Amino acid sequence: MLDKTAQSAVRGHRPGRISRLVSALLMMALSSPALSAGTAVGTVINNMAQVNFEIAGTPTSQNSNVSSITVQERIDVVVVLQSPQVQVAANDTDRALLFTVTNTGNGTETFQLTINSIIGGDDFDPVPSTTPIYFDSDSSGDFSVGDTAYALGVNDPLLAADASVDVLILNDIPGFVVNGQIGRSELTANSATGTGAPGDTFVGQGDAGTDAVLGGTGGTGTDTGEYIVGDVQINILKSVSVLNQFGGTEPIPGATLTYTVTVEVTNAGTATNATFNDPIPADTTYVPGSITLNTLALTDVIDLDAGELDTSGAPTVVVRLGNLTQADGVQTVVFQVTID
Amino acid sequence: MKIPHLYGFAFLLFFSAANAISQEQGHLNVTTLVQMEEVSVGDDGDRQTRLIPADTVVPGDVVIYTTTVENISDEGADNVVVTSPVPEHLSYVGGSAFAPGMAIEFSVDGGASYAAADALMVDEDGQTRAASAEDFTHIRFVMQGELAAGAQGIARFSARLD
Repeated sequence: MLDKTAQSAVRGHRPGRISRLVSALLMMALSSPALSAGTAVGTVINNMAQVNFEIAGTPTSQNSNVSSITVQERIDVVVVLQSPQVQVAANDTDRALLFTVTNTGNGTETFQLTINSIIGGDDFDPVPSTTPIYFDSDSSGDFSVGDTAYALGVNDPLLAADASVDVLILNDIPGFVVNGQIGRSELTANSATGTGAPGDTFVGQGDAGTDAVLGGTGGTGTDTGEYIVGDVQINILKSVSVLNQFGGTEPIPGATLTYTVTVEVTNAGTATNATFNDPIPADTTYVPGSITLNTLALTDVIDLDAGELDTSGAPTVVVRLGNLTQADGVQTVVFQVTID
Repeated sequence: MKIPHLYGFAFLLFFSAANAISQEQGHLNVTTLVQMEEVSVGDDGDRQTRLIPADTVVPGDVVIYTTTVENISDEGADNVVVTSPVPEHLSYVGGSAFAPGMAIEFSVDGGASYAAADALMVDEDGQTRAASAEDFTHIRFVMQGELAAGAQGIARFSARLD
């Protein structure tokens, strides 16, 4: 008896770190703040006008007094999400979103960080982890052993003008979520000097005894990241039809078996570099040149097309399906064997 | 530095003077003030602006320089020209120069030459282009007539802190 459920395997990978990093870099390039730090706090700017004139034909020159301004501290902060939408599964723990906090003011400022995962307009509320905020100390872009935990009021980041720090927020995913649902979480950075309306002034609270004035951000920055539920789910269906040398459907020696395998992504997410592997069943012989992908014939040798018969070990049909998503629809692989 | 030969002088004054100490050296009394606009909205919703001392200037703010020239002699002054640098860290606000009875000219070369705003060119990366407000290094106000004894003239411009 033939084993009609011969093993098929399709392997998918989540988008790797490299693609995430590329996305992060792209976003950083697109989101650089419009107003950089500007003239440094404490800078003294003097100005003096000169007047040239003639009295009774005699040229004379005279200077005004010197007017002087001292640049005060402007407090501004910008938080920018660096992660693309993060794909999660129910009951995942410590799933990270990466943000960059940038001091866009002109002085050195301390910022306090808070996480909020109860945000309207999404499908579920992620649950902040026990220690929910970390500095991305190893610049990996993801939560890892080398990252330093943040504690409010203990190690608040102190940033010079134009300096920035990468921050991770961690959430657990509830068990009740279903595929396709979205949950949001946000990171907020507040100036430790204070927040409020642009133009609000904290007398004497700026660097070097200057006044601190809230800039356009009001001393607070926030950005929101997004989790989407949906481990890539792939449906695989395999069927076989029999045609023997007598025109019948009895699986006798010499009969030809046509295997039809369909592969389909059924939810959000991408099966990266999905590869179809199907060993030729025992007691059968592969029919040369019989592999097709979506009715397109593939050669048996390893070449530029998407598949081959890999004979390096047990003979195996291999077809590379690329990055599969739901939008790609059903992929159909067909091949034939004869019964020995 | 735009006014190196005046440095020592400027320093002395900085310690001894508030914003508006006039220089009385005989014929003219020349005063420069730096201020900023404060906008308030009254109970009736009207926006009111007034000039206040430029004490809390932060990047992005606009300050207003006002030079007042008063002839305190008993003779008229001819060919009166008021020159002010656009100080370092500040950029001239296009169209802000204002001086009744004076022609306004600009320099893009540290005060070596002056012309009308739309007649100035600058070199950038080997290309010549029309100067923009940020390129101006000095502003010159040329009084069109005599500054009579006892009369005064006012020259004003705005600049934004980088």
